Amino acid sequence: MATQAMKPRRKLDERYLARQRWARAGWIYGAMLALGVFFIGPFYVAFLGSLKDNPLEWPFRTTFAQVLPKNWVAAWKLGQQGAGNPWLGGFAPGANIPFEVSYFVPEGTEPTPPTVTVPERRAGAGLGAIFDEVQASRYAQVSPVEEVSRRPARIGDEAGQVVTYRFTISYPRSDPALDLPTAARLPLDVEAPRGQIFLTATLDPNRLERRGRVASWDSAAPGFFGYTFKNYVRVFREARDPNTGSSFFLRWTVNSFFVSLMAVLINLIFASLAGYALARMYLPGKGLLFALIILLMAVPQQAMFISNYLVLRDLSLLGSLWGMIVWIGIDMAKVFLMKQFFESIPREIEEAALIDGANPIATFFRIILPMATPALGALTIMTFQGIWNEFFKAAVVLSGQQGSYTLPLGLSFFRSAYGAAGDWGLMLASAFLSMIPIVILFVVFQRYFVEGVSTSALKG
Amino acid sequence: MKRLWLIAMAVAGLSSGLAQTVVKLQGFGGNDTAIMSSLVREVVNPALEKDGIRAEYQGIEGDYKAALLNALAAGTAGDLFYVDIFWSEPVFASGKVEALDAYFTKQELGVFVPSLLNAFSFKGKIYGLPKDFNTLALQFNKDLFDEAGVKYPNQADTWDTFKAKLKEVQSKLGDVAGMCVVADFARFGAFAYATGWKPFNAQGKTVLDANFKRAFEFYTSLVKDGAGKYAQDLGEGWTGGCFGAEKAAVAIEGNWIGGFLKDKAPNMKFGTTFLPLDPVTKQRGNFIYTVSWSMNAASKNKPAAAKVLRALTSPEAQNWILSRGLALPSRSALAGSPVFQRADKYGELSRVVFNGSTRQGGNVLPFKFGSYDGGDWMRPINEALQAVITGKKSVDQAIADAQAELNKLVK
Repeated sequence: MATQAMKPRRKLDERYLARQRWARAGWIYGAMLALGVFFIGPFYVAFLGSLKDNPLEWPFRTTFAQVLPKNWVAAWKLGQQGAGNPWLGGFAPGANIPFEVSYFVPEGTEPTPPTVTVPERRAGAGLGAIFDEVQASRYAQVSPVEEVSRRPARIGDEAGQVVTYRFTISYPRSDPALDLPTAARLPLDVEAPRGQIFLTATLDPNRLERRGRVASWDSAAPGFFGYTFKNYVRVFREARDPNTGSSFFLRWTVNSFFVSLMAVLINLIFASLAGYALARMYLPGKGLLFALIILLMAVPQQAMFISNYLVLRDLSLLGSLWGMIVWIGIDMAKVFLMKQFFESIPREIEEAALIDGANPIATFFRIILPMATPALGALTIMTFQGIWNEFFKAAVVLSGQQGSYTLPLGLSFFRSAYGAAGDWGLMLASAFLSMIPIVILFVVFQRYFVEGVSTSALKG
Repeated sequence: MKRLWLIAMAVAGLSSGLAQTVVKLQGFGGNDTAIMSSLVREVVNPALEKDGIRAEYQGIEGDYKAALLNALAAGTAGDLFYVDIFWSEPVFASGKVEALDAYFTKQELGVFVPSLLNAFSFKGKIYGLPKDFNTLALQFNKDLFDEAGVKYPNQADTWDTFKAKLKEVQSKLGDVAGMCVVADFARFGAFAYATGWKPFNAQGKTVLDANFKRAFEFYTSLVKDGAGKYAQDLGEGWTGGCFGAEKAAVAIEGNWIGGFLKDKAPNMKFGTTFLPLDPVTKQRGNFIYTVSWSMNAASKNKPAAAKVLRALTSPEAQNWILSRGLALPSRSALAGSPVFQRADKYGELSRVVFNGSTRQGGNVLPFKFGSYDGGDWMRPINEALQAVITGKKSVDQAIADAQAELNKLVK
């Protein structure tokens, strides 16, 4: 009887425990999701912002011209028609671009065809203002504007009609032998009298100006990237060296890779050698040396940077990437990490190698190092990521030589050259581009990241 | 490491072995690096080749002021460097900057716009030559005034007529503010100067007197009386932002708004005129924002640096900058440049901003606040403006609070 009476109670307990478990899982997952949203949210907003014509737009919209598939298709086609380049567009000799715009004309107003111009457009701020680009306005010819259709429509309470107009922009090639330049973009302004409300066009305009009177396109033949990823394309097109014309951004990316890879390599060699020596070799004063290393770790970099700067100056390494590599090549924290890892490897393994006749160098390279892959992986990733994002030392060493900037300094350049003029699109776009290698690194080496953290956490 | 040492020594030996004197220039990063290195390459260095002098520009990304002060302390600053008027006096007072009177004759200095040169004089000596400058001007959107049927603002407007015009535009259009008002002394101060008020009186104290209060009341009443809206309420941080987005009919900005509008609203029909006059004094006020080329007192190549400085501020160099629309020249003679005579909207903007530094500009003071950090000095006034515009304090209360704060700061 007693056992029978106990049974349902135990069942209840189990259910309670199961509920508890689920509740706990729910809390944990919920918290992780919330954190995920919290961290991803800004990225999402910033990414959308980097696509927009006005990244600071408020209230924030998630649907805008650049994310509509209709515009992707149109931009692709226009790019094809403009320069035979559906990705980046342009305006090349022989181009023939048909374009349509529709207006809503309220009842009682006679529709007036809009005025179409291909204006001369120069960048007002940033590096674009320094360069003279090929102006499409010098070569473009716009056909007379024709009315295509009229159909009755209502907007809200207002009755009227939708009138569609068509025109063609062409780049005549009078003489095939003539070497005519290709313009990178084809700016377009379509102006209608006030009262006629702009509705749609072959491609949504980049902005409506003068209280809706002028629909304005940065390029009427932008191509898919040129329209959707306009700011990303500008990062490469505009940020160029005024002296050589080569892309700054590519240069900075190469510099970042160079510095990061060299520093990783030097760190791998020195940290593992030093770590092994400190962990295993017999060396007089080893304890003192190790204490010194720990002490060095404790001194903040800011306290040492002036002396380091002066040393680099005397070595004539200021403004050169090698100066930066020399400075960040050896990190005491990494030596410490490797030492702690090597100490965890049983001594018996080395003794076995010794009995087999291996000298210390062979033991290190053939036995110990292969066993240290997780630590080396962690070291690689942490060093790479740390140096990729290093701003302070880059600013101290590389300042003023734009050709030898690394990406974080480049981003600072975009901030002062474009952000100060209210043009944040480029800044956002370049920030996203500079993030890509690190994201790839993380995805590929995710395992090592976690392992590395646990290794160092366990031992440190 | 040893090899690196050797290589480094070899490189150092090579560069010092050349007979050329290298003059190091330091200034802002960003675009300035690109512009200045082009200027140096195309104009300055060719002019100095015969003297065996070569200039090199180094732009500093990030906080320029901090970097310059560090470099001056560490002895690594360039031979010539930018000094922003905003924090110039403490730098000049430090003794780290060379006075230029010994290197330039009176005639040579006389070619610069006097108010600009004065901005860089300290205790009777000149510590920098103006690189370029800006003042404030009033930009107005012609479409919006036309649509509201209101006359454009002009240089005869007083605060009252100006406010009446803005009020009419705002009430007739409904969805547009007359002006977007910022709680910033960098704009409001121009109105305060129009009354004859000065940041420091003869005793070196800041006194927010009746004149100050009159300007303060006018400026904050723009929002209260429906002639403008608070910039933050329109989601913008500066008057140019509102103007470019057609949220406001006028803006009070310098020549820099031209570049912004070229990108943001290339089709906008806008005009530029001088700031309105104080109805009592019949004067206007204005700021001069400028940056100098100053010489390092610890420089080893002072005569060479003076030559480079002469080339950097030469008519050729200033014309090079002006013709590209990058900045306004600091030489009086260039007021006659064809760039200023252009009939378009950008020509008018540059002309009015340039003339803002002359007598037409009225009471023009440099954008600096004695030996005080400009940011610290302006903060109490900015807070007072904000408190009144957002309705948190009365004018009297806000001014009294600001005065109390300033009394603590200004000894």
